[in-house]
Amino acid sequence: MELTVTQENLNRAISAVGRVASTKTQLPILSNILLRTDGNRLLVAATNLEIATTQYIGAKIAKPGAITIPAKLMSEFISNLPKQSVELKVINDNLHIKCGTYSSIINGFIADDFPELPTINESSSIQYSIKVEDFKQAISQTIITTSNDTTRPVLTGVYWNSFQGQLYLAATDGYRLSERRLVETKSEISAIIPTQTLQEVLRNISDESSEIDILFDDTQVRFRINDAEIISRLIGGNFPNYRQLIPASSETTAVLNKADFIRITKISGLFARESGGSITLTTNKETSVLSIHSIASQLGENTSEASAKITNIGQITLNSRYLSEALSVIDSDEIEFSFSGKIAPCILKSTKPDTEYFHIIMPLKS
Amino acid sequence: MHQALWQSVLGEIELTVSHATFTTWFKNTELIDQNESEIIISVPNIFAKKQFEVKFDDQIRNVLAKNGVNAKEVTYTINTSNKHARLNRETTLSNNTNANNSTVDELLQSNNKPSTTTRLVTSGNLNPRYTFDNFIVGSSNDLAYTASQAVAANPGVKYNPLYLYGGVGLGKTHLMQAIGNEIIKKDPKIRVIYISSETFVSEFLDYIRFKKKGFSEKYRNVDVLIIDDMQFIAGKEKTQEEFFHTFNHLHQNNKQIIISSDKPPKSIPTLTERLRSRFEMGMTIDIQMPDFETRCAILNIKASLSGITLKQDTIEYLATNIKTNIRELEGALNQLLAYAEMRGIEPDISTAEGLLGNIHHSRPQHISSKQIIDRTAKHFQIELSELCGSKRDKHIVVPRQIAMYLLRSELHLSFPKIANELGRKDHTTAIHSIEKIEKAIKLDYIIREQVASIREKLYA
Repeated sequence: MELTVTQENLNRAISAVGRVASTKTQLPILSNILLRTDGNRLLVAATNLEIATTQYIGAKIAKPGAITIPAKLMSEFISNLPKQSVELKVINDNLHIKCGTYSSIINGFIADDFPELPTINESSSIQYSIKVEDFKQAISQTIITTSNDTTRPVLTGVYWNSFQGQLYLAATDGYRLSERRLVETKSEISAIIPTQTLQEVLRNISDESSEIDILFDDTQVRFRINDAEIISRLIGGNFPNYRQLIPASSETTAVLNKADFIRITKISGLFARESGGSITLTTNKETSVLSIHSIASQLGENTSEASAKITNIGQITLNSRYLSEALSVIDSDEIEFSFSGKIAPCILKSTKPDTEYFHIIMPLKS
Repeated sequence: MHQALWQSVLGEIELTVSHATFTTWFKNTELIDQNESEIIISVPNIFAKKQFEVKFDDQIRNVLAKNGVNAKEVTYTINTSNKHARLNRETTLSNNTNANNSTVDELLQSNNKPSTTTRLVTSGNLNPRYTFDNFIVGSSNDLAYTASQAVAANPGVKYNPLYLYGGVGLGKTHLMQAIGNEIIKKDPKIRVIYISSETFVSEFLDYIRFKKKGFSEKYRNVDVLIIDDMQFIAGKEKTQEEFFHTFNHLHQNNKQIIISSDKPPKSIPTLTERLRSRFEMGMTIDIQMPDFETRCAILNIKASLSGITLKQDTIEYLATNIKTNIRELEGALNQLLAYAEMRGIEPDISTAEGLLGNIHHSRPQHISSKQIIDRTAKHFQIELSELCGSKRDKHIVVPRQIAMYLLRSELHLSFPKIANELGRKDHTTAIHSIEKIEKAIKLDYIIREQVASIREKLYA
């Protein structure tokens, strides 16, 4: 292998895939990244056997070939080079790198030992093209409610499912649930994508990306953004039938300004640290006020109020962290907050008609 | 058949690839179907599938051919419904950072009750063989038995933690597992974990070494935590700290904790103070060596389980000669039954004598009255001359009485002889002392323990 690339391109590609190369693995070659010529491009790839990321960069190729080299050393070395062209040359399983006045030799491993990168059959799989803005928002809205409890794998990802001609994303950690409608779909789909994969995809989105292509088959999913490809396994198992949890109607509804709601939640949260974040929300129909009360037995207590349009009196106890996280991802100036008594789940959403996102939080038993 | 073939394929491949390669790729693979034209192998994920298709296909075909299987097609499929994952999903609920937070699961369960009846039963490492029904109760363990039943009836309410201690082979594990089994039988949804503290320690180390997450969740998400052989945690400070937090978490949420050990918390020297006080705050019960009648009952039941009825004298012979623990008792019985069956003779007292005499019968003869007195003096750290002297301070009188008791119980010496051994003239002193200790053993666990520990050292 012998080729020339620019330092910027190489550095971007290596730092993007290098995150995936893992050091905590039985198979030493997994801490390496793969460099391989592919036509007139250079393929840079790494995998941890859950995800594989691949970046293609333009290169002037003198001699095709492939090599794997330690990810950590390579990425640190390349990132410190000046912005010039970099010559890469493989001699006897070692990579000779030359850039301006710097030159080094990195001991590599032959590329044959590197795991084969999975491929996906484009004709037999379900495909979506999604605007990057929508994708980013939908993922950030749902990823916060995924669980990190590895004993229940199905909850450690976001559930992509089709329902009545629409593609929905849903996630729950057992205490809260979020659902986001994304695009129309003609195909039937039901797939759970690991949280880490989605985080990795988010990291690979740059300013110049505008669309993201997503391809599903039964066991894997592939994301493609510009010149980057991320292939991941899907989580096996059945996601809980969450739609039956969505409250059909609520006894009490409060409509209030989002900024106000966030502020009073944050303030009352300060007094709820001892009690595991427990804050009590009370609606008063006559004064049109939503008040939040929290008590820290050692420090004192707090009551914060915000004016709101209220349909009924009611009270519910929630975890302040869950509430503020939910509020932070709802894209609206006004929030509709509905609940029915102290034990039924509450639901938060935008006041916009036919809103695409809602967030459910289970109350604390007080 | 499939399994055997795949086993031999794996065996051969293991020799040709590196250990890391083998464990990464070949673990969790299975040959799931085989017919004339096709062989289907299940692999855990997409990465393995690709790797097998491209890298290992030739090798697998070669080895299959060597094993006499020539397949036109070898297909690799991904095992989507991973057994392991499925089991876990059913047995544990979500990460509980807020114990009193209602969960979506609860709601889901209450919403679809009819469909949850087919839930898998949690295994929790319990051995279903251990139940209350086959636990034999005698005066030495009835308190422990009753407390265990109370715990099984209302986990987390009474006696939390339940701390059982006693020597080896006295039934601690049996009782603890019986509690777990009973709880699961009543409500399969309750999550019970049974582990030994050794496993706890090594798992904890693994989590630290590989910087894994989720250790605390694993044990904090249970309803009943049973830890066997707690003494192995002694001296391991970091693990004790982790266990301390787990303990607090569970205890605060009224989850049942059951612990066993060979010593009471006080006597484990390197147990941190805060753990010790916590272990003592529930119920601490010792299990004693079963008395003669209980030993006979155990032998009777065990023999009838093997379909054999032993004569009373044989039972009594075994029960008299093996006093130290139940495991040994069972061992001797099994040995006797096996020997009799092999020889085609009756497992009667003479067979038992012939078989066990050389092992057990000779034991008491090794012990002399001098040894007993020496041991006792050493145990209480007093001089031999004091023990046999005339002083009547309390710290000498009690050991002297214990020595007399042991001389009587172990060597069956006569009262005058016992009195003589300890420098007394009057044999009524010996009678009085022995009676006193016999009574004290039933009431005072300190005395009981001292006697047991001296006895243990004598026979060690």
